[in-house]
Amino acid sequence: MNDTEVVEKYPTNFEAWIQEFSEWQTRIGFDPSWLGDYRFDIKFDWDTAGNEIEFGDFSGMPKWERRMQIPQQNIRDAIINMVSVQGDTEFASVEQQNHLLASAPTEYDRKSALRIMCEEQRHGWQMAYLLCTFFGEQGVREAAKLLERNAQEGTRILGSFNEPIDHWLDFFMFTHFIDRDGKYQLKMLSTSSFKPLAASMGPMLKEESFHLGTGANGLRRVVKQGVIPCELIQKYVNKWVSTGLDLFGTDDSSSAQWAYVYGIKGRYDERESSVEADRNHLNEASRDLYFQELRDEMRRISKARKDGEPELFIPSDKFNRNIGKYAGNNYTVEGEEFGGGDEQYQEYLSTVLPTDEDEHKLVNEYMEQEWIQYREWKGK
Amino acid sequence: MPFFDGLIDYFNSYHHSKNQDAESYEELLYLVRRPYTPEMLDMIDEWMGKEKRDWREETQREVLLSLYAIRYPDTLLIESLTENAKSDIERLSAYLHFTHHTYSIYDENTRKGLSKLGIEIPKMKEMNPYGYGAYVSSIELLKDVAPFTCFLEHDVPRQRLFQAALAAYGAE
Repeated sequence: MNDTEVVEKYPTNFEAWIQEFSEWQTRIGFDPSWLGDYRFDIKFDWDTAGNEIEFGDFSGMPKWERRMQIPQQNIRDAIINMVSVQGDTEFASVEQQNHLLASAPTEYDRKSALRIMCEEQRHGWQMAYLLCTFFGEQGVREAAKLLERNAQEGTRILGSFNEPIDHWLDFFMFTHFIDRDGKYQLKMLSTSSFKPLAASMGPMLKEESFHLGTGANGLRRVVKQGVIPCELIQKYVNKWVSTGLDLFGTDDSSSAQWAYVYGIKGRYDERESSVEADRNHLNEASRDLYFQELRDEMRRISKARKDGEPELFIPSDKFNRNIGKYAGNNYTVEGEEFGGGDEQYQEYLSTVLPTDEDEHKLVNEYMEQEWIQYREWKGK
Repeated sequence: MPFFDGLIDYFNSYHHSKNQDAESYEELLYLVRRPYTPEMLDMIDEWMGKEKRDWREETQREVLLSLYAIRYPDTLLIESLTENAKSDIERLSAYLHFTHHTYSIYDENTRKGLSKLGIEIPKMKEMNPYGYGAYVSSIELLKDVAPFTCFLEHDVPRQRLFQAALAAYGAE
């Protein structure tokens, strides 16, 4: 059984950061009273973190528990970078989503979204705690930046986290596709050679499963209700899948390779896999698993559709990509090279991605009806 | 197989077995909602494979009101119900489960599963609020200590995930 440690006493650096965090909440319009009795605990699951480095060139050595045990500055920098990117996404998603609370279709959805936002903020705290506690002045500076960048201003590190989430269909797409990428990133860090990072991931992953469930279940309820046509839903699927695939980074990534060599970020199935890692194609391997999972999930969601509605599907991994070997080329959602020129391709895109007209119809026509299967909030 | 390592498989083997009718279970999560009616209790009875309740009108009203009043994880309110309502622990725990999604359905195999893990809950036929309280708290504890690999992303309350997995584990 796993005993999760909840940190009771914080270092001064982190106490100061908490003050900045309160100002950030005010700045983005997140009312702390919404939290109720929720506490942003710092949690570590040391049991599942493991004691020995599990892969890479330091494999078999004890995992590093403090900064000075990390043998090289470039490895420290790489860890700081990973923790910063993870923390950046946590706060960004709250900036993207908190305006939706006012327009929730049901109390159940409002409470679910609020729980997700609370937990994302806790995850952000966890990453800021690692930076402030283990990485000295450099860490404190990076922790401060987590609250300075802003999704509304487009200054968050990763593209998906600067995308506007204008309505609840986008929210469910985001929690289904983008939080699922988050699950992959967290699991890849759960075997990290830096033990406090690895030990942070267990409690975060437990919470993340609820976020993914909210997305998958939300989409299934939308499809089941049958008010928003599947043809329109498909356009949003096409939009978010390509964004999610891009989050895995470039093909033949040297930074992923170095992270593997240092043992700080493994494969998604690092502990389960019996084959040697292909260090030149680490991002591709994790992306392939993610892509397969998306297809399996979409088959489940699509089963709920009304008679006569077209089947929902995951578009080709070549379609609409901005990162990787397919970026910059014109492909159809089926993965075929597009025959016409760029102008014709833009016309094609308007048939497979949401247009302004689609957005207008979605919000002002479909979402004015009972567009999602009702679910009662059962909590207190 | 250690319980937590096999939890998802245990859950799937039980929840998706023919006599559990997973599809109807998941429908009930939506259909049972306020205001609670006798027809909703009938739907739960049907999913459980139970005969229709042979309760007086007052007993039924008393149970429906208690479903509003009870607050998870409290079970002591059950003490105030008439003997007839308390006579079938599986039925009453299922009503609590579908109206709150937190209380776990009582099942003898689940109790055996807890026992295999070293958590001894007395065998119950009738609803005993203390015994059922211990049963509910034990499942809550397992949720807390389980590793992240145990958590499904699907539309099933975590209490059901753990209870169903325990039932399969206990039946082994």
